[in-house]
Amino acid sequence: MICIQNLSFSYPDQEPVLKNIDLNIAEGDYIAVIGPNGSGKTTLIKHLNALLLPSAGEVLVDGLSTSNPKNLPEIRRRVGMIFQNPDNQIVGMSVEEDVAFGPGNLGLPPKEVRKRVDEALEKVGLTNYKSRPPYTLSGGQKQLLAIAGVLAMDSRYIVLDEPTASLDPQSNYKVLNLLKKLNYEGIGIIHVTHNMDDLIIANRLLVMDQGKLITDGPAADILSQVESLKAIGLTPPKVTELMYCLNQRGAAVATNICTVEEAVEEINSLLIKLQNPVDHNRRETEHV
Amino acid sequence: MYNPGYYLDRQSPVHKLDPRTKIITVIALSISIMQLDHTGLLIIALLLLTCSQAAHIPVVSWLKTLQPILPFFLFLFLIYIFTTPGDPLITIGPINISDQGIYMGFTQVFRFILLILTASILTMSTSSAEITMGLERLLHPVKIIGLSSQDIAMMVSLALRFVPTLIEEMNHIKEAQLSRNCNFNTRGIRGKIRNVTYLSLPLAVNLFRRCDELVNAMEARGYNKGPRTYMRDLAFAPIDFCIISIFVAGTGLCLIL
Repeated sequence: MICIQNLSFSYPDQEPVLKNIDLNIAEGDYIAVIGPNGSGKTTLIKHLNALLLPSAGEVLVDGLSTSNPKNLPEIRRRVGMIFQNPDNQIVGMSVEEDVAFGPGNLGLPPKEVRKRVDEALEKVGLTNYKSRPPYTLSGGQKQLLAIAGVLAMDSRYIVLDEPTASLDPQSNYKVLNLLKKLNYEGIGIIHVTHNMDDLIIANRLLVMDQGKLITDGPAADILSQVESLKAIGLTPPKVTELMYCLNQRGAAVATNICTVEEAVEEINSLLIKLQNPVDHNRRETEHV
Repeated sequence: MYNPGYYLDRQSPVHKLDPRTKIITVIALSISIMQLDHTGLLIIALLLLTCSQAAHIPVVSWLKTLQPILPFFLFLFLIYIFTTPGDPLITIGPINISDQGIYMGFTQVFRFILLILTASILTMSTSSAEITMGLERLLHPVKIIGLSSQDIAMMVSLALRFVPTLIEEMNHIKEAQLSRNCNFNTRGIRGKIRNVTYLSLPLAVNLFRRCDELVNAMEARGYNKGPRTYMRDLAFAPIDFCIISIFVAGTGLCLIL
């Protein structure tokens, strides 16, 4: 559990970037964080592994306060972080050496480091690339490599700052799929993103604006509030907006829908109702 | 991307040596090369050829590491020819070319060729990670003067790691400037200097931002003052001791004679 209690943060002599944030993150959570540029998303997540320290309030990672320098190595082991530009987080001269950087910093014996590197590369599917220099990898593979680096440290939480911003759709899909799998295995995921289509797999959505946490709840519910999202300059997923517009025009469809499959299902059942208003109940049971 | 002198992944006896052994040997050889005369240099050349073959390095790619430095060799040769005093062989106006000059020119260039070929065997048979690991251990005593060999090795390793990234970035910047009608084919020193600033200023600005992110990433991955470990550990085998003693003794001999 990561507990954020009344967190405020400001750079010296400047307006506060974060204002009174309270938040609990459980180990199995998959949280997406959205918000316009400058809303404090990146500043917030940098508090989760003590890259930044609170000006007021406290951040506790599994009970360890980030303000205590003695806790730093353990906090950074527990909370892994992936940045937007994969090139600037790779330090090794080969794929496997980069994965070994984290466990090496923990001072593990060479045998254990070797074992963890092999396991992590296996998990992200980069075993065949292990002796390649990192600059020969594609953008998506570099992000997978960064995730392997975190996995090798046996982290409980993975924090990602727009990891898919510069990826092609196929790599994007691969990275999201891996995150889903890791979350299923019990790793907490905190995913900052601008891409609304990335949110669908999250079970919890945080919306930030002007340094405040303005909404916290199930992703589908929040995304369906199309008007309030637009008010702070965010665009909901296309499908959700479509359903919202249909609903506004008077069609009897639900608006808390984020995937194409759900939308097809919903529109189809509406069509059936319209075609045969009397016995749609019977038809629907046949359909199932 | 083709890199002369880049690591070749082979299974050879030279690859298997401890990187520290190879680094010490290279230093010993370099000292000998600076001391010896032409006969000695020929012997060293043969020795290097044997070593490169033992390391399964193809002769052609080995010699190709000299390619980028050829203009320097020519420059060095000319300097020695024109500046060494001695019995004039050819006189063109005030310039004297002497026997001694030609001899000095050839031996000096030969020396530099051998130095580079020696270093190439090291870099082609040792991965950069091994080299930094070896350096870290060899430099361990610098902690007496308050430096950390771990940090030095990390710096070297990061520098090597970012060379290809920076080349790529340089090309991006060049393309961006070209697409804005910047002309890189200007003649004359002034134009050339201006071109360099068009490339290096954005590169430098980007570098600082990159460093900032890199520091964050390294801290996030737990880099700190404590001792680090690697995937493998270095251990001297008996063969390492033999090689170090032979080469160090050889160098000692060169220094005395």
